[in-house]
Amino acid sequence: MLRYVLQRLLMMIPTLLVISALVFVIIQLPPGDYLESHIAELESQGESVDHEKIAFLRHHYGLDKPVYQQYFYWLIGMLQGDFGYSFEYDLPVTEVVGDRLILTVLVSVFTIIFTWLIAFPIGIYSATHQYSWGDYGLTLLGFIGLATPNFLLALVMLYLANIWFGTSIGGLMDPQYIDQPWSWDKFVSVLEHLWIPVVVIGTSGTAGMIRRLRANLLDELQKQYVVTGRAKGLPPFKLLTKYPLRMALNFFIADIGSILPTVISGAEVTAVVLSLPTTGPMLLGALQSQDMYLAGSFLMFLATLTVIGVLISDLALAALDPRIRLQSGNS
Amino acid sequence: MKPLRNYALTAALALASTGPATGNEIPYLADTVASGALPPLSERLPSQPRRLQFSEWQEPGKHGGQLRMLMAKAKDTRQLAVYGYARLLVYDKDFNLVPDILADVTVEENRRFTLHLRAGHKWSDGAPFTAEDFRYFWEDIANNPDLSPFGVSRTLLVGGEPPVVEFPDEVTVRYTWKKPNPHFLSSLAGARPLYLYRPAHYLKKFHALHADSKALAARVSKAKARDWVSLHTRQGHLYKFNNPDLPSLQPWYNTTRAPAERFVFKRNPFFHRVDPKGQQLPYIDEVLVNIASTGLIPAKTGAGDSDLQARYLRLDNYTFLKAGEQKNDFDVRLWQTAKGSQIALYPNLNAQDPQWRELMRNVQFRRALSLAIDRHEINQVVYLGLVIEGNNTALEQSPLYRQEYLKNWAEFDLEHANRLLDELGLTQRNEKNLRLLPDGRPMEILVHTAGENTEETDVLELIHDSWLKIGVKLYSKPSQREVFRNRVFSGEALMSVWAGFDNGVPTAEMSPTELAPTGQDQLQWPQWGQYFETKGQKGEAPDMAPAQRLLALNSAWEEATDASAREKIWHEMLGIHADEIFSIGLVCGVLQPVVVNKHLRNVPTDGIYNWNPGAFFGIYQPDTFWFTEARR
Repeated sequence: MLRYVLQRLLMMIPTLLVISALVFVIIQLPPGDYLESHIAELESQGESVDHEKIAFLRHHYGLDKPVYQQYFYWLIGMLQGDFGYSFEYDLPVTEVVGDRLILTVLVSVFTIIFTWLIAFPIGIYSATHQYSWGDYGLTLLGFIGLATPNFLLALVMLYLANIWFGTSIGGLMDPQYIDQPWSWDKFVSVLEHLWIPVVVIGTSGTAGMIRRLRANLLDELQKQYVVTGRAKGLPPFKLLTKYPLRMALNFFIADIGSILPTVISGAEVTAVVLSLPTTGPMLLGALQSQDMYLAGSFLMFLATLTVIGVLISDLALAALDPRIRLQSGNS
Repeated sequence: MKPLRNYALTAALALASTGPATGNEIPYLADTVASGALPPLSERLPSQPRRLQFSEWQEPGKHGGQLRMLMAKAKDTRQLAVYGYARLLVYDKDFNLVPDILADVTVEENRRFTLHLRAGHKWSDGAPFTAEDFRYFWEDIANNPDLSPFGVSRTLLVGGEPPVVEFPDEVTVRYTWKKPNPHFLSSLAGARPLYLYRPAHYLKKFHALHADSKALAARVSKAKARDWVSLHTRQGHLYKFNNPDLPSLQPWYNTTRAPAERFVFKRNPFFHRVDPKGQQLPYIDEVLVNIASTGLIPAKTGAGDSDLQARYLRLDNYTFLKAGEQKNDFDVRLWQTAKGSQIALYPNLNAQDPQWRELMRNVQFRRALSLAIDRHEINQVVYLGLVIEGNNTALEQSPLYRQEYLKNWAEFDLEHANRLLDELGLTQRNEKNLRLLPDGRPMEILVHTAGENTEETDVLELIHDSWLKIGVKLYSKPSQREVFRNRVFSGEALMSVWAGFDNGVPTAEMSPTELAPTGQDQLQWPQWGQYFETKGQKGEAPDMAPAQRLLALNSAWEEATDASAREKIWHEMLGIHADEIFSIGLVCGVLQPVVVNKHLRNVPTDGIYNWNPGAFFGIYQPDTFWFTEARR
């Protein structure tokens, strides 16, 4: 087991190196660099740009060096915990990301809990009442959630919340609380705003989870041991939760790998539409303005979390389900 | 010595108010003053504050209140440096230059400028604002090899030579060039001005020449900056307005460090303007800038989340905004924009394709294209019939406006257009009734757009239909902005679409550079512009007589010493543009919705919303805006 963990950890190094090279190359692919995007933006509103000043900035930011040098500069910096410098904000990357992380985690955690609260009962009900009206009805509901574009649902809900409840549009709290320390009123204001992104992002995730839980559970429910248990008179609820449900949960643990990065990144499109102060819009903005160190470092951070998440879910699966064997290359 | 235009009046008024104005203490600051942390009003104002003259629609107000605005990005904090519009000189509401931060300026031969500061003027932190701040910028920044490795900024050079700068005393600074510098004063009044000063007392602690090297090294590493140069540059952006510690001269100063979702700007207790009653401005205590995504700003504004908003609102939001007026207590006003043209087509005179290049350079061809555009239809279909149809030129608000500049070759006349094209010998047509080039290719023009809004493509769709009637087929090709520019520069693009002149309300005193081939970013002649910009190292020399004439006129304007000569030059240049159709303007005077809270006073009903000159709200002095009782 230890050997396996070590091997997996070693494998992460080349994986992350390849990811870092890919990330860097893809960010560099669009024509121009941050300064050109910046100039274009300034000129679009009539501000003139001093070309000497731009040359100075290009040198200052190291953008006049060859791409591979910029890459190694960034890579070595990251190994030392220096994630580079955001041109757009004129600040080190860590300071830009800082505050947004907390709110992003808040939104994501609530969303995940919401998804589970909806998906679990529906999934179990659908599996145990297969092909009933309830199964069809609830599944339909899940599919509607999946099929409605998030941004549309978000806009509709924003509008209705503003008209019906007077909630301020966009953001995660009323403006007057933004720079205030946490208080009860601020918390209430956050809750008033939080439900919209939670519902919007959550509805799109429930359908998938319902279907997977239902399918896994159906597989188990038809197995012999369930029939035997039922024949021996086990109460139905105990029969369901004692074995089949537990067996059906494997997919759920395998999901941890992908949940970890989504907790940090939030749902980008929805967050942009709702103007949430989370990391999603920041990442999008950084990619648009070619603020390469901010975008690159953040993507690397997500990649690292994904790799770690996958490892954790693999280990957890192995620990929870003895049927899963370790096959570390010597099969 | 030649005093500045319109200055006499201001000077007389300033003299009339002998001694510092003493109003009552501002409630917002009363506690701080009482505690002794802030000196009383009489000691905060310069000995001669700038006493504003109100127009009849302005009324003296009361202090207090918070003004909420919406912006899309943290770096939009610079908009407050624009709206605040405290400059050495400013444009007044009639676009005349008047001293603002300066008490006075004297000009000799248009090349020797003596700036007189206001005695006792202070930065927002209370430190004196003196000639030392100008000296620091000139000697320790502009001429410092580390901070300015490429030398003095081009805007300060005339004929490649920097000025001689003298500092005779605490309140006097003198700039002398060998040749006239007609751009100098107007660049000081720009929306993004030429900053000749920096708060020396604050920035010295980041400067290797002034700071103790150990303390400086500690500051650099604490700020995670690369070196002192980068730290000094980062801390000293007067325009970006992103450093709360940097003292300011604007009516409100920033107190919030990015990244943030809300920026709080507080009143500058040392601001140098007073109202006609002698009360210190600004009236409003705080400006709150909330950050929201671009797409949500119209919705948020419509829900009453902004007290003064124009940025990120467009004419097509008008009906939606109007619907929220009653419920959310605001007023939607329509201001004029001042671009020469909202949208203009630019035939590329430097196109690569030799046949097309020859055609594009033929004035008859350009006129034919212009005549074959139904501007009235565009107005009705895309702009609700609310805009002015015509060429890319000076608007009616400009003293240089003439109807023929707007209407020459701009009426819709297919017959005339067809006749012009026939006269060019383009009479062959193919089976689709398209005219053929001499080498037999059909006349298909690919118009490049930057792909940023649907407005351009909608308009092009309409032009497509009318051009078909003269046998020319139009395709539009959206791309991305950098790609778009590169295609135009390289001559690959035959035609492009962009906004018209940046300044549609010029006076004869403003530089006509935009009208002559002087910049690579001019889409009809990028190569010629580059030739001028690089002093002949790159690009091509203009080889068309009218373009050469424009260039000659541009330099003649720079050397002209009297106003009537400048006016004559301007008219000749505008005339050449109207006759030659170097850019095919479509419509102008597109209206900008401006949302104003019902309790906010002194915001004009009809205004001009323009970047430069104008600084958006800046020209209407937002420091004079005030809230009635209900919102204070």
